[in-house]
Amino acid sequence: MRDNAKSGALTEVTFFVLLSLYEPKHGYAIMQFIEEKTGGRLVLGAGSLYGAIDSLCKKGWIELYNDSDVRKKEYRITVLGRQIAEQELLRLREVTRIAEDIIGG
Amino acid sequence: MTKKVNRYFGGFTEKQAKWLNQMAAEGWRLIRTGKMAYEFESCDPGEYQYAVEFIADKSQKNAEDYKSFLEGCGYEVWYKNANLSYSIGKVRWRPWAEADAQITTSWTTYNKELLIVEKENDGKPFELHTTAADRIGFLKKWRNVWLSYTAMFFLMGGLFLLQTPIASAVLGGLGLLSLMPAVLYQVQIGKLRKEKDIDN
Repeated sequence: MRDNAKSGALTEVTFFVLLSLYEPKHGYAIMQFIEEKTGGRLVLGAGSLYGAIDSLCKKGWIELYNDSDVRKKEYRITVLGRQIAEQELLRLREVTRIAEDIIGG
Repeated sequence: MTKKVNRYFGGFTEKQAKWLNQMAAEGWRLIRTGKMAYEFESCDPGEYQYAVEFIADKSQKNAEDYKSFLEGCGYEVWYKNANLSYSIGKVRWRPWAEADAQITTSWTTYNKELLIVEKENDGKPFELHTTAADRIGFLKKWRNVWLSYTAMFFLMGGLFLLQTPIASAVLGGLGLLSLMPAVLYQVQIGKLRKEKDIDN
């Protein structure tokens, strides 16, 4: 997973993991959330998700919320993570606006 | 009905996964693993899917954490050895591993180099790694394993150069042999990078 620091664009996986964690969730629930919301278009492998969670925790965008069950550790988005997600929403709105001007929407 | 089959795949994870998936397609589900033995019980053909992952670069703590995570996703998970050593008290150096996993012993991660992961078949392909960056990281791990072998063989070959040139030549040859898979992995990494336009 690599987010483009220059343009500020997040990878789709990063953005969806952040969105899924506005409500605390464990790994499997994140996978289900992403699959459901995208109608099965984006399916994330458990190994990739594990790496994504690790990297987002290190960045401080998400945090451990509840680890009473080691198999189902729950995570949630942080204040910084919310800021990052909001920026991404603004960027996507801008992209959409430009695209609609040109293509017509 | 159960049956035991002896097989050895070493570090070839894809071959092992393919074989397990074949067994599952024929109606055999994994229930236990030994050094070389795999024990199966009968199931509906195609009821389960398997993936095998190389995890010897992870520290014991991280390997256990990852295993728990996969179990939390509803998968059945087994540790599996990638080698056939039986000795107790073995110590190994893994220069390619995470900092706190470089020295491994039979009490920590030695003989637990692989994870076999089982999922109930839901008709979709079973892949643990789905992002390009993640797949590149996975290939890099294998490239580094082989590169470290290459370096060690060359280093040992160099040490023997003056006294026993034959040993040196053999070690050099082994070094070149282990360089080949490293190059193949690098080629795959290059291809993926180009495909996905990822620069890491």
